[in-house]
Amino acid sequence: MRAKKKTVKSKASDVKLKGRKQQTKTAMPLAAQSSPFTIRGNVNGQRVPSRILEEQIQEAVKHGVREMRIMAQGQHGIGGRIWPSGEIIKITVEGTAGQRLGSMGMDGTEILVKGSASDDVGWINCGAKITVLGDVTNGAFNAAAQGILYVQGGGGARCDTMTKRNPRFEPPQSWYFRGVGDSFAEFKAGGIAVICGVRPRNPENVLGYRPCVGMVGGTIYFRGPIRGYSERDVKLLDLTDQDWDWLTTNMKPFLAAIDRMSYYEELTRSSQDWKKLMAYTPQEKMARKKLHMSTTEFRKNSWEKAVGPGGIFAEYLDHDLTILPYITTGKERRNKPLWANEKYSPPCAYACPTLIPSHQRATLIRQGLLQESLELVLRYSPLPATVCGQICPNLCMNSCTRGLIDKPLAIDKLGSMALDLPAPRKEKPTNHRVAVIGGGPGGLSAAWQLALKGHTVDLYEASGKLGGKIEHCIPRERLPHQILEKELSRFAELGVHVHLNTLIDRKKYDAIYKGHEIVIIAVGAQKGRVIAFPGSEHVITAYDFLKEANSGKIHALKGKRVIVIGAGNVGMDVASEAYNFGADSVIAVDIQKPAAFGKEMEAATSKGTQIVWPKLTERYDHTGKKIHFKDGSSLDADMVVISVGDVPVLDFLPPDIHTERGWIAVNNVNQTSDVKVFAIGDVTGLGLVTHAIGQGRLVAETVHYQMMHAPRAPELKQVIPYEKVKREYYDVCTGDFSAEREGHKCLSCAACRDCHMCESTCYWGAISRVEHEGGSYEYVVDEEKCIGCGFCAGICPCGVWEMVENI
Amino acid sequence: MEPASRLDHNHKLSLREFPYIIRWRDDRCKRCGSCTAVCPVKAIEPTVKVMRVVRSEGPVPTPSSVRQVVQIVEQVKDMERYCTGCGTCTLVCPNEAIEPELNPQSKFLHYKNKGGDGYKRGGRRNDPSVSTLDRLKFTRISMLTDPALDAGRHEFRIRTLLGRVTAPEQMPLQVVDGRLQLDRRSETFIPPVREIYPIMIGSMSVGALSPPMWEGLAMGVAYLNEVEGMPVVMCSGEGGMPPRLLRSRYLKYFIIQIASGYFGWDEIVRSIPHMVEDPAAIEIKYGQGAKPGDGGLLMAQKVLKLISKIRGVPQFVDLASPPTHQTKYSIEEAVAKMIQSMSMAWGFRVPVYPKISGTKTAKAVLNNLARNPYAAGLCIDGEDGGTGAAYNVSMDKMGHPIASNLRECYLDLVKQGKQNELPLIAAGGVGKKGNLAANAAALIMLGASGVAIGKYIMQAAADCFGDEYNRCNLCNVGKCPRGITTQDPKLYRRLDSDKVAERVVEVFKAADTELKKIFAPMGRSTELPIGMSDGLSVDDKAIAERLGISYAC
Repeated sequence: MRAKKKTVKSKASDVKLKGRKQQTKTAMPLAAQSSPFTIRGNVNGQRVPSRILEEQIQEAVKHGVREMRIMAQGQHGIGGRIWPSGEIIKITVEGTAGQRLGSMGMDGTEILVKGSASDDVGWINCGAKITVLGDVTNGAFNAAAQGILYVQGGGGARCDTMTKRNPRFEPPQSWYFRGVGDSFAEFKAGGIAVICGVRPRNPENVLGYRPCVGMVGGTIYFRGPIRGYSERDVKLLDLTDQDWDWLTTNMKPFLAAIDRMSYYEELTRSSQDWKKLMAYTPQEKMARKKLHMSTTEFRKNSWEKAVGPGGIFAEYLDHDLTILPYITTGKERRNKPLWANEKYSPPCAYACPTLIPSHQRATLIRQGLLQESLELVLRYSPLPATVCGQICPNLCMNSCTRGLIDKPLAIDKLGSMALDLPAPRKEKPTNHRVAVIGGGPGGLSAAWQLALKGHTVDLYEASGKLGGKIEHCIPRERLPHQILEKELSRFAELGVHVHLNTLIDRKKYDAIYKGHEIVIIAVGAQKGRVIAFPGSEHVITAYDFLKEANSGKIHALKGKRVIVIGAGNVGMDVASEAYNFGADSVIAVDIQKPAAFGKEMEAATSKGTQIVWPKLTERYDHTGKKIHFKDGSSLDADMVVISVGDVPVLDFLPPDIHTERGWIAVNNVNQTSDVKVFAIGDVTGLGLVTHAIGQGRLVAETVHYQMMHAPRAPELKQVIPYEKVKREYYDVCTGDFSAEREGHKCLSCAACRDCHMCESTCYWGAISRVEHEGGSYEYVVDEEKCIGCGFCAGICPCGVWEMVENI
Repeated sequence: MEPASRLDHNHKLSLREFPYIIRWRDDRCKRCGSCTAVCPVKAIEPTVKVMRVVRSEGPVPTPSSVRQVVQIVEQVKDMERYCTGCGTCTLVCPNEAIEPELNPQSKFLHYKNKGGDGYKRGGRRNDPSVSTLDRLKFTRISMLTDPALDAGRHEFRIRTLLGRVTAPEQMPLQVVDGRLQLDRRSETFIPPVREIYPIMIGSMSVGALSPPMWEGLAMGVAYLNEVEGMPVVMCSGEGGMPPRLLRSRYLKYFIIQIASGYFGWDEIVRSIPHMVEDPAAIEIKYGQGAKPGDGGLLMAQKVLKLISKIRGVPQFVDLASPPTHQTKYSIEEAVAKMIQSMSMAWGFRVPVYPKISGTKTAKAVLNNLARNPYAAGLCIDGEDGGTGAAYNVSMDKMGHPIASNLRECYLDLVKQGKQNELPLIAAGGVGKKGNLAANAAALIMLGASGVAIGKYIMQAAADCFGDEYNRCNLCNVGKCPRGITTQDPKLYRRLDSDKVAERVVEVFKAADTELKKIFAPMGRSTELPIGMSDGLSVDDKAIAERLGISYAC
């Protein structure tokens, strides 16, 4: 009665404090009540608000009530939040329990619901023991962390979600006598749930649709059929002995609490009736295969069964269907190295019209074979001391790679050193007869080569001496005459039939043509070209001027002013000679940038020659000794020499030898329109002495092949690019000339110098040097070790190694 | 004869002009040559250098010099062998001694026109800025106003329809025994429709791709369908299809493309009687987003035996697909004739739709399709799409961004009330920065029924090096260091098709999860939010206005 009175009073908030004081005073009598203390959720037909009911419960507990009965009418959260005091607080709920019954329930609280409970029973349970003698609706035990929930009936949807286990306390337990609804135990992180499966609402599924999504901890024991669970999160297991012990032990108090002890036998009949669901551990999840089946299995078991072995493209592929690494060897390399020794021409040999392999001379010197080195050149030229050593502008040296470091190899000096050598040994006679018309450098070269190969050679020379322009036109001061004479005497050793003073006319030509297998025309250009202008009849050609000089005629030029029209190298020779004859001044004029270069120009300018351009001659006033130019200027000119080139005299030729603008027309192997007639040297167009010698050598090869019935053109190699030769290995070299020194200075472009750099460099040990019988060697690659990296090619001092596509 | 003057640096380029500069570390390099062995363009090579130190160690000047020739790895200063920055050297270097570094000062394009031809490459538009797609945000989050969904907990059904969807009132329906049924005898044409996954693998041809790459993608798609239950489809590209696949049950996961080159079509036609399944659809290619108005080109160096067989062409010839179809000169003719022919080939059982490059004129094409009952949809490929080979200028400067182009077309359909009838497929830059699901979702919410991806899957599934800083992009010359876009077995055998397939599966599964993460908070789980543009915002007013979405900042 007191309580009832108090409840009524408490309805008004303004008297709440007073009411509490009254409670305090009457605490003992309340606790001493023998019949259960009752709180009513409906007073006089008025529903008591949840807030008031809660106050009343808390007040009662505070005043020592340890057992109470709540006649509920849907009030929220009944029985929760009774802070532990070490004593048991028993609360019996009758009527209609509201949502979240027992929420935040604490240790010591025991709630008995005499009937069903609404949603979220035991929400965030922290230790209360809640018994529901009926069903629980949705969300029962949501986020419960401790305590017990006993349900005599079944659970609604989303029961046991987010349950926890705090290691400091016993895990929460939830027991459902019948079954539970959908989405059970989502995100369950701890606690034990038991679903006994007695007369479940869905006889086919005691755990509802998709239980355990996101479950990471705890255990669910269940009995009866289910229709799946979140396989990603939990595993289905049989019960262990420990499980069974726990279950059978704890089953008794559960059944006792819900008044169903009669089912004990049935529920503990056999552990086989039960299964449990447990969350996979994080380790198990990590170790889990990411895919249901590997794609390799899929390929084997499905793909290739449907499309055929090897896959959809196999029928078109002609290689192994295996995977390759990025670094490959053998035939799988993308590129491979080649030891391309002598595949390319070094710049010196390439620049030399005669293709003299000077790098080979250097190699022989390095091998201590100086004599062999010097002899080598005679295989290429009859006049090395004369031409290489004296008058040649040495195109070889101009292009020498060594020149990019310090100075080119002294190939000229190596040529000079060959002066005293005898002629090389001839091959056996072949009985092939060749005529060479013209005893200049081209004719000498061709005759020399053919004679060396054993052919019989007739050499016809119009003048009384061999040597052509070397003999007749090159100033003696540039070429000491004894050098030429010495080399011509060596030439004579070969036994060429030399016919001097034999000017060839048409009749003689025809006879020669008939009497020889091959005719080589090397008559040169023997007539100075003259440009017609007023007074040009009073000028002398350079050809005549120089020839007269070399033949001993003295030009009286003392104190004279000489003008040379045409400032090429021949013009420079004229100028030098004019000074030698005592000229006061020599001026060379040209209509364009002068073509003179090298030794000739140095000699002429050192003597005082001036070069003036552009000057286009208008007329020569022979009496006034003045030459006038089109630009209106004039120069004093006691003598005018015209040096604008020479032209050949071809009056002996039959018409079937084609000419073009006065020169004999030849193809790329110097063959004329008559297959048995070749033409070389200036008769085909003006060039250097070395060009004539080169053409002589190459034409001799062509002729040789042709006569020996193996017609082909001489082999011409491509030149090696400078950057392939590694100059970095060589330091700047100072000091005087010696053959040995030159041998070491040579960079051996495109020719292996056997230095072992490649062998030492290869990281994979793929390169080795193999020596063959007879002393020759090569560097070879072990295909199974080489990865095709290109280090050998990149570091080879000589540019011998090259990388090619590995096909 | 005048001696040739010896030039040194005349007309040589300095490294500063090059797009990538090799950083090589002498102190780490062991000269094993791995880098130089793999460099696809021979942009690096071993060589030697001289080091010289002059010292004075005595109490008075006592000079001594030490000279040493060292071996190094050097970058080649030849624009024809420029370092593409692919980083294969870095990948294989055991000592982390080498790596290419982007050179922002590069004058690459000033020089990359040797011989008077413009720069050609593969890849995509070189524009590293953030695309419109990547600026779109999903701002309508269901909190308390709508029931929110949980991507991890709820079940989703992410599917879309490919094919023309007939309105129920136009369907020849009848009630038989109290059940709704199709009237099979009706002569009303019911267009074929496929339910597919809204992200598909776009058209990349056999030929543009290497055999293991193409097969890897194909196998991944088959796996997704058959093992994962995700109905992902893949477009063949214009290079035909291997007969083994045409005649297999997997054909149903493939869209066969026909383009102006008609490569491989005789083989496809010959296979029709042997097909056990219909293809998913037929795509008629009129344009490519990466290079609008520029035709397809497979360079001769990629036309080897395999390609020659599958495409039905001789080996070692350049294969051009002209920018226009040769027998079609008007939009009516092009669309009607092609769609009619392709539909007829498979007995009108297969959806047939055209693909065009993003353009201001897309709406005109769309409206033509809207009137054609056989048109199954329209694919629009925006400027950020990729390609195997094109002129740089076409890639960088031609084309239309996909976002506004797609949006405009969708809103046009909305005006006609046909937005649920004719599906739009958007492509070109989907996943450009790796945001595959977000870009796809944004396009869907702007109105796309689905999206197609290309470059993204090459990067994600096969580790393609390419990016918007012109890294690698060697697809056109068949030197792909990853083995993706080459026909050289030495290169493509680096690629394991099983691994590619596995990555395809992983990519799609991850994208699926991410799509759920986007759709769930917006309360969508079963219907794709096509055109749900109220869920989108952007932090740029002009974009917001153009796309008809809200501005949020």
